[in-house]
Amino acid sequence: MKDLVRMRTSLKEEIEIALNAQVKMESEASQKYLAMASWLDQNGFEHTAAYMYKQSDEEREHGLKIFKYINEVGGAAITPTVGEVQQEFGSMREVFEAALQSEIAVTNAINKIVTKCRQAEDYATEDFMMWYVTEQREEEKNARRALELFDLIDANSPTGKFELDKQIAKIGSAE
Amino acid sequence: MLYDSPDTTLLYETKKGRTWQCDLTDKLFLEFDGMVLAFRVQDFFAFRRRVNKVDILEMIFDLSDDRDFEVIEAPLHNFVHRFALCELIQLRDLLNGTKFSLDLHSMLHEVLGSSYVVLD
Repeated sequence: MKDLVRMRTSLKEEIEIALNAQVKMESEASQKYLAMASWLDQNGFEHTAAYMYKQSDEEREHGLKIFKYINEVGGAAITPTVGEVQQEFGSMREVFEAALQSEIAVTNAINKIVTKCRQAEDYATEDFMMWYVTEQREEEKNARRALELFDLIDANSPTGKFELDKQIAKIGSAE
Repeated sequence: MLYDSPDTTLLYETKKGRTWQCDLTDKLFLEFDGMVLAFRVQDFFAFRRRVNKVDILEMIFDLSDDRDFEVIEAPLHNFVHRFALCELIQLRDLLNGTKFSLDLHSMLHEVLGSSYVVLD
């Protein structure tokens, strides 16, 4: 009797489910950043809005990369559905606090997938996920740096918000 | 395709139906309540996911007539059928039993299969 399951895919079901959940999470993150970008744009923070639009695109790319990987190894990638995301924020700082929380949640989810991969002896997916481990270190660092800038620049000073808008947008680029 | 012909292996059987694997065509066959469907492995898993996704509790507690049945489709097989609550539970039992059988078989292949593992 042939092993039809293994002939079709190298992906174990629990890993496939975890990866599809991660695709959904990355999609949600992309939508959250898009809502943040819109709020920033509406409130005159055009540089940070551009930064957030870019973040939104990046998160979508991250999700798509996993999506394609699932199909590549013979699994079934499921198109994620995303619910309502927060559209209104009390301040610019609140936006970046929410961004950091989102990044921390993504990092935790990725770590859990790596743990699952080790338990299932799926070293190919673990290797694939290590790119995300490195990426998340960078993403969290950037989100923390944004909040750090709020401590360094007084948002209530005459040009504070203007300066914050310019400086936060530079995060991650060659300064 | 009969489940007891050569090159076929019975995977799971209940009072309402059975599933078997054909090694000639690499397909899984499902016989349920008089219907017979042939699936590729990935289509079988997609069909199982669809059936498992039905919210049985919601069907039980929703008293409206349209929740007495659930329409299940398998577009690749030109299949669409209205399943009553009991039928869905019986179908689920058959599909999940088959999945267990396939996984167990895969595991046995891995442990007892042709690959040699060198241990210290």
